[in-house]
Amino acid sequence: MSINNNSDKGTRNLVIGMVAFIVLVGAIFSFISNKSSSTAKVPAAVSASDGYGIVLNANATPKIDIFIDYQCPICKNFEIINGGYISEIAANAKAKVVIHPMTFIGAESILAANAAACAADEGKFLDINIALFQNQSGTENSGLWTGDYMKRLGNSIGLKSKSFEKCVTDGTYVDWTKNVAKASADANVNSTPTVKINGKEIDRNTEYMDPVKFKAALAAAGVK
Amino acid sequence: MQSKFIKAQPWLTLLIRLGLGGVLVAAGYLKAIHPQKSAMAVRAYELLPISIANFFGYALPWFEIGVGALLILGVAVKISALLGGLTMIIFIVAIAQAWARGLSIDCGCFGGGGAIDPDQTKYLEEILRDFGFTLMALFLYRFPKGRFGLDK
Repeated sequence: MSINNNSDKGTRNLVIGMVAFIVLVGAIFSFISNKSSSTAKVPAAVSASDGYGIVLNANATPKIDIFIDYQCPICKNFEIINGGYISEIAANAKAKVVIHPMTFIGAESILAANAAACAADEGKFLDINIALFQNQSGTENSGLWTGDYMKRLGNSIGLKSKSFEKCVTDGTYVDWTKNVAKASADANVNSTPTVKINGKEIDRNTEYMDPVKFKAALAAAGVK
Repeated sequence: MQSKFIKAQPWLTLLIRLGLGGVLVAAGYLKAIHPQKSAMAVRAYELLPISIANFFGYALPWFEIGVGALLILGVAVKISALLGGLTMIIFIVAIAQAWARGLSIDCGCFGGGGAIDPDQTKYLEEILRDFGFTLMALFLYRFPKGRFGLDK
């Protein structure tokens, strides 16, 4: 009777121990895989002090931060509505534009962000930005975006170099995407798109999807 | 009537253990595979400092999986029920304060989370659901011993 009780207790404690062990390992793994890496390779256009975002016109003012995920459908709408204007002010150095490609929707977001970073190295960031949103698959994590797809997409906007293809194949900037994610988390960005001017978010309800109000919000912050 | 309950209780405990345990494991798993989204969901409640919110976002799913697993296996049921019930109560308070403060968020209970359109919030539904889970946890706390449990 008492031997039975002891072995039951033993089994019970063993099970508790195993569950606790699995939970601990899982949690630790989760923390480690979401950490920033100070040794991550970052594209030349990226600045750690700007949340590891891709920076256009580093010395211009005001500063516009745009947080997106390439798989996010609302980001695609935002790009359709405001992308032209944003490209224009970036090209004319009317503001410092910092794009933060987040990757919380899934693995294909990481592929896209990596490809965008590779394109930034070759001076074609804004082009691939538009191309990615125009080629969203319609459902998130559908499997459409693969490494090969990214190479073909790059090709279609004039990126045919071996260095671009290697960058996509090697996933050179995948670690960088974790730095972007961590910085965005620390900046309390909870949905995409998120637009901040000089650190302050513009009005999500009125100023994001209305091109006139969006322009006005930027103008009010000093974009001529 | 009372003896009917006494006869049924071990099976009831098993059923509720599997139900509540299953929900916790599923909810935990859906969050654990998307840790960034999970952290986002916790931050959206605007209750905790950001670094602490992020910590909970990463850790909570595993806590749920652990408690859920213990309930399913029928080990340390009383304390797991207590932990599960307390967690549910904390969720209810968090959702209620988001509602009261006029935030527009998804609870993030089964993955997802973060800001949503104001006309898409489902606060009452989420609170009632979690209240149901609290009742299940209370039952298990009161009647932890049941069929196919490793607790003796």
